[in-house]
Amino acid sequence: MTATLDPKHIGKRYGPYRYVVGVEKVKEFAFAVAGGIPSAAFGAPPEGLNPLFYDPPRLAFPTFAVTFAIQPFVAAVTDPVLEINVSSVVHGEQEFEFLEPIRPHDTLLTVGWISQIYEKGRNDFLIVTTESTNQNNRLVVRAVWTAIARRS
Amino acid sequence: MSAAKYEVGDRFTYSRECDRYRALYYAAASGDFNPIHVDAEAGAAVGLEGAILHGMCTMAWAVEAALTYLEDPARLKKVRARFSRPVRIGDVVTFEGRVAEISSDTLVAEIAARNQRGGEVLKGAVVEYSISDRR
Repeated sequence: MTATLDPKHIGKRYGPYRYVVGVEKVKEFAFAVAGGIPSAAFGAPPEGLNPLFYDPPRLAFPTFAVTFAIQPFVAAVTDPVLEINVSSVVHGEQEFEFLEPIRPHDTLLTVGWISQIYEKGRNDFLIVTTESTNQNNRLVVRAVWTAIARRS
Repeated sequence: MSAAKYEVGDRFTYSRECDRYRALYYAAASGDFNPIHVDAEAGAAVGLEGAILHGMCTMAWAVEAALTYLEDPARLKKVRARFSRPVRIGDVVTFEGRVAEISSDTLVAEIAARNQRGGEVLKGAVVEYSISDRR
């Protein structure tokens, strides 16, 4: 039986992680969400897609934040010190708070920390909070990520 | 932007199909290549019926649903949801939103998301949107 996740890890920090928002990446993300192919060569704008996201890209789709803000969450889930069986993990819940729009060419720094650990039934819950700040030192996105690890 | 444009109880509906390659495309766009999203055998190995779509793609669709009604993506303040059931390849997800609350500066919409079998794929999905003149 896998051991219960130890709450002593609450507060452990990850990052900062640097990410530069690419113009084409913003477009590809919006295409993929809207039912298209994420490629400048093979993709065409899906019907009804807001031109702000691609013609030219002036704004990232809000949940584009996953591409950079996820880094501390992944680092925590795969942290060998936590001894989580990664294959048992599901992404259980997600929250984003958007404080500034995400724009092409933004340089973002993301930090994160383990904000909660608790168990429920045969599952361990690992909650990671992240904050991403842009080149103007403005907080852009605050996110709360929940991983659920099933104990064997 | 005037809050009078919106009313509590307003509804919006939206639908998206998880086509055969959607999880692969979303993996490419998001960077999340967890094998359960791109490899049917990896999904089966952990008890799923094959590869499943990223919960984050389903959440993005919920945001799309809200923006068909709310329009300005730069005004989105918050989104949250619990991923209560996997979206499988071939599933069609229908999003039904309802404006639950309007204050002086924020509109709150609740969104139900169900697959073609009626199963809830998101629970507690909520978006908050700025209706303030100063954002």
